[in-house]
Amino acid sequence: MGVSDYIWMGIQAVFQGPEAFSILGLSISITIVMVLAGFMLGIVVGATPGLAGPMAMAISLPILISAFGFSPDALLPVMGFLIGVMKGATVGGAVPAILFNTPGTPDAYMTTLDGYPMTQAGQARKALKIAHFSSASGDTFSDVVLILCAPFLAVLVERYLDLPEKTALLILSMAFIASVIGGSVGKGIISMGLGLLAAYIGTGEDFYPRLSMGTQSLAQGFPVATAVLGVLVLGEVFKSLEDLWHHVRADDRPTEPRQSGDQRLHWADIRRISPYIARSAVIGTVIGALPGIGSTLAATLGYSAGARRHARKYPDRVKFGHGAPEGIAATEAANSSVSGANLIPVLSLGIPGNAAAVFLILATESIGGFNPGPSVFKFTREAINPELVAAFGLFTTMMVANAFNWTIGGAIMRAAGVMVRVPKHILLPIVLMLTLTAIYVQETRMQGIWFAIGFGVLGYLMRRVGMSPLPFVIAFILGGKLEETARQAFAATGGDAWFLFTSPMAALFMGLAVLFVAFSLRRPTEAEK
Amino acid sequence: MQPQKPATRANLYLALGSIALALVVALVWARYDSGSGLILKVRRQVSIGDALAPTIAAAMIGLGGVMVLLQRHAAEQPGLSLANLRFLTRFLVLCAVSFALMRWTGPAVVAAINLFGEGDLSYRLLRDTAPWKYIGFAAGGTLLITVLIADIEGRLTARSVIIAVLAIAALIALYDLPFDDLQLPPNGDV
Amino acid sequence: MKQILKAAIAAVGLAALATGASAADWTPPGPIKLMIGFAAGGGADTQARLIAEELEAKLGWQFIPEQVTGKGGLNLAAAIKDQPNDGSAIGMVVTETLGYNMRAADAGMTPADFTAIITTAGFQMGIVSQSSKGWTSFADVVAAAKGGQDIRFGAMSPKLADLAYLLGKAQGVDFNIVTVKGGKDVMNGVVAGDMDLGFMAGIQAKGVASGDLVNLASALSAPLVQTPDAPKLSDLGVEFNADGYFAFIGPAGMPTEARDAIAAAIADTITTEGSKSNSLLTKAFGGPTIIAGDELQAMAEADYDAAGKLLAAASE
Repeated sequence: MGVSDYIWMGIQAVFQGPEAFSILGLSISITIVMVLAGFMLGIVVGATPGLAGPMAMAISLPILISAFGFSPDALLPVMGFLIGVMKGATVGGAVPAILFNTPGTPDAYMTTLDGYPMTQAGQARKALKIAHFSSASGDTFSDVVLILCAPFLAVLVERYLDLPEKTALLILSMAFIASVIGGSVGKGIISMGLGLLAAYIGTGEDFYPRLSMGTQSLAQGFPVATAVLGVLVLGEVFKSLEDLWHHVRADDRPTEPRQSGDQRLHWADIRRISPYIARSAVIGTVIGALPGIGSTLAATLGYSAGARRHARKYPDRVKFGHGAPEGIAATEAANSSVSGANLIPVLSLGIPGNAAAVFLILATESIGGFNPGPSVFKFTREAINPELVAAFGLFTTMMVANAFNWTIGGAIMRAAGVMVRVPKHILLPIVLMLTLTAIYVQETRMQGIWFAIGFGVLGYLMRRVGMSPLPFVIAFILGGKLEETARQAFAATGGDAWFLFTSPMAALFMGLAVLFVAFSLRRPTEAEK
Repeated sequence: MQPQKPATRANLYLALGSIALALVVALVWARYDSGSGLILKVRRQVSIGDALAPTIAAAMIGLGGVMVLLQRHAAEQPGLSLANLRFLTRFLVLCAVSFALMRWTGPAVVAAINLFGEGDLSYRLLRDTAPWKYIGFAAGGTLLITVLIADIEGRLTARSVIIAVLAIAALIALYDLPFDDLQLPPNGDV
Repeated sequence: MKQILKAAIAAVGLAALATGASAADWTPPGPIKLMIGFAAGGGADTQARLIAEELEAKLGWQFIPEQVTGKGGLNLAAAIKDQPNDGSAIGMVVTETLGYNMRAADAGMTPADFTAIITTAGFQMGIVSQSSKGWTSFADVVAAAKGGQDIRFGAMSPKLADLAYLLGKAQGVDFNIVTVKGGKDVMNGVVAGDMDLGFMAGIQAKGVASGDLVNLASALSAPLVQTPDAPKLSDLGVEFNADGYFAFIGPAGMPTEARDAIAAAIADTITTEGSKSNSLLTKAFGGPTIIAGDELQAMAEADYDAAGKLLAAASE
C-alpha cells in the first residue's frame, strides 16, 4: 500500500462511488452530484446578504445525514456537499459587493471598494469575471498547499508528539486563537473560558454528570449542534433582527447603473492581475493555515499589500478604491485562499480554525468513521486505512469543486445576482425557523430548542459587547478533547503534575502560549469589530 | 447598526461580571456539583478529578475579566443598551408563546376531539401520522415567523401570514416528507 | 465447533421465545422509540439501526431511532426509565450499564427498574498490544514492567480500569492506567504509541488477523475465538472478568408478551443468515449471542450484585 495507491483509491472513491445516474453510459457518482449541488447552493447563499456559508452548512447537515445515513459511504457525498457550499459561498460573497455595494459575506467588504466603482462605470460583468477568476485561482492554490502539507504535518505530529506534547499543542492553539480573534484578548479569553465551561457541563469521567445540578436535562450535556448553531447562527440572526427592527426598513432598493462597453476578460487583463493574485494567494494561504485568524483579515492584508505595490509600480493606472480590477483581484484571491489552508489544522490536528471548519468537523463527528486528526494519515502497509482513503477522497472532492468553479462558477455567480433583492426582514425569520427545525430533528426534544435559544442569546450578547463568539465555539469543540488528553497524559506519566513542562517540546509550546497572550495584551484594543 | 451610545463603562461591567462568574464557578459550582475533586486517588494512582477542568475554565474567565479590567478605559467600547434588553425580552416572550403552541396544540386538538367526539385517540400514538404530526409545528412556526415579520414592518399584513405558511410548508417538505426517521417538533417529546 | 455451538444456543433461545403463544400476536401500539446509547456511526449504533430497519421491512413495525449517549449508558437508562412500558420505547446498551455502572454510580437506579429484553452479541474482549512491541505473551509485559519500564494500559470504562489494576496487582506490577472514551480510542492510542497495551472489544480482529496487533490475553471467562491460546484473566490471577453483551432493555413492568415478541423478532433477524445485522455481528463480534427474557434479567441482577465485590477489590 504505497502513497500512490492511496491517492488512487481516494480518487476512485469519489468517481466510482454509488451512482446517481448515467449519461450516455457514463456513470456519474452521487458524490460528484452532491459537490455540484453544494457549490451552487453556496454561491446563492454567499450572494444573499444576511446569509453565510456556515449557516447553510449547518442547516443542511441533518438533512444530508438523514438522506445518506451514518455509514462510511455517507462521508464523501456529505462532506463533498459541505465543501461545495464552503467554496461556493466564498465566490458568491463578491456578487452583492460588486453589484450593490453590500458585501454578501464580511470578507467581501474590501471587494466593494473597487467592485462597486466598476459597476458604476458600467463594467459590472467584467468586475464579476475578475472576482471569479481571482477567487478560483486563490482557492485552487490553497487546496494544493493543503494537499501537500496536511499529511506531512500529521505524520510529524504522530511521530514526535506524545500525550503531554499533544496537550500542550492544544493549549497553544487555543491561546493563539483567543489572542488573534477580535479586538480584545481579554474578551477572547472570556469567550474561550465560557466555551470550555459549557463543554464541561454534564460530561466528565465520573458517573455523576458534573455541573448538572442534579437535573436530568443538563445531565446529557449540551449537544454540539445546539451550542454551535445557537452561538454562531442564532446569535447573528437575533442581532440582525434587532438592527432591522430599529431601522424600519426603508425601501432602499439599489438602482442599477447602465452597463456598457467591453465586458470580456482578456489575456491582457489576466496578465495584469496575476501578480496581485499570486501575492494575495500566498498571504491568504499562510493566514488560513493558522487557526482562528480568518478570511476577513486575509482580505484586508491582501488588499493593502496589493495597494502598496500598485501605487509604487503603476502610479498611472486607476488607483485602488476607484474601480481598479487589481483591487478586486487582490481581495478575492486573498479571502478565497483561506478556505483550503484552513483545513490543514483540521485534518492534521483536528483543530478547527473558522466557522466553516467547525461545521466540517461537526459533520465528521455525526457520521463517524472519520476522525480528523493525526491518526488519519497513517500509511499502513498491509491492511487498508479507510480514513486515509477518505482523506484523499476529500481532497478529490475539493478538486472537483474547483473544476466546477473554473467551468461554470462564473455563470452561476452572475445568475445569483437576483438574490440581492430578497428582503432581509422576511429572510431572517425563516432562517430562524429553519435553524430551530434543523436542531430539533437532531435533538428531538424541545429542551434542545430552548438550549439553542439560550446559546443564541449568549451569542447575541457577545456580539453586542464586542466579544467574538468564535473562540467560544472552538473551545466548546476542543474542550472535551483537551480534558481527555490532559487526563491521559497525566495518567500515562504516572501522575506527574509537571507533565506539561518536563519535555522540551511541551515546555516550548506552553511558553509560546503564554507569549502570544502576553504579546497581544500590548496591542491596541477594540480596533476591530 | 443601531445608534451606539458611548458606553464607556461597558468594559468595567463586563470585567466585574466575568470575575464574579469565575469565582462562583470555581468556588461553588465546580466544587460542589462534581463527582470528584480537583485530583483524586483511585487504584493507587493519582488522577485528575472531574472538578479540575471546570475550575480551569473558570480561571480563564476570571483571567479574561482581569485583562478587560485593565483595558476598561479603551475607546469605543461596544456595550448593551436598555433598548437591546427590551428587544431581547420581547423576542424571548414571542419564542415562549410559539414554542408552547408548538408543544401543546397537537395534544390539545386530540383532547378536544376526544371530549366532543367518539374519542379514544392519543397524540403519542398519532405522532407519526399526518396531519396530526404537523399541527403543533404549523401553529407555533407560523406564529413565530408572522409576528417577527409584522414586528419589523410595523403592521400585520396578509402577505406576512402567507409567507409564514409557505415557509412552514417548505420546511415540512424539506425535513419530514423525504425522511422517515426525522421528527418535527414536538413529536420527539411526546 | 464454535459456530455449531453458537447456532445451538441460538436455536434453544428461539425455541424458548416461540413458546410464548401470545407473543406472536403482539403488535406495537404505535411507533417504537429506539434509544441508542452509542455514538452515531459506530459498530454498536449501526447494529441497532440495521436491526430496526430489518424489523420494519419484515414486520411493518415502525422505529424512530434516537441517540442518548454518555455516562456508560446511564443517561439512556435514566431517560428510558420513565417512558411508557407498553413496548413503544426500547433502548440498546451494554450489560455493563445495568451491572457495574449502575452499581458504581449509585444514582438510585437498579436493574429492577428495567425490563431486560434480549442480547445480540458478546464482546471479544482482549488485552491487545502492537506486535512491533515484540511482546508475544502477557508474561513478556510483566517482565518488561518488572524490568523498570513504565507500562501504559488503555481502558475504555471504569470497570475495565479496575480489572487492569487488579491484573497488575495479581502480577506484582504497577500499570499506568489510561482511561479513554471508547474502544476506538484505545485502538488509536495503542497504534499511535501513546499506550503500550489496552482492552479492545472486537475491533482488534482485523489487526490481529493481519499481524499488526496481538491478543496477549482474553479478558473474558472464556478463551478468545481468534486467539484461543491466550490466557484468560482467571489464568493470570484475577477472579473477575469483562464478560459483557449488547442488550436491548425497556422500562420496568413491560408486559411479557410485548417483551417476548420484541425479543423473538430481534432474535429472528440477527440469526437469519444473510441479513445485514447477522453479517455485521458475525464480522465484528464473533456472531450473535442470544440471552433473553428472565434469564437476561437474572444475569443483570447478578452482575449488579457482583459489581460490589469488584468495586471493593479495586479500591483496596
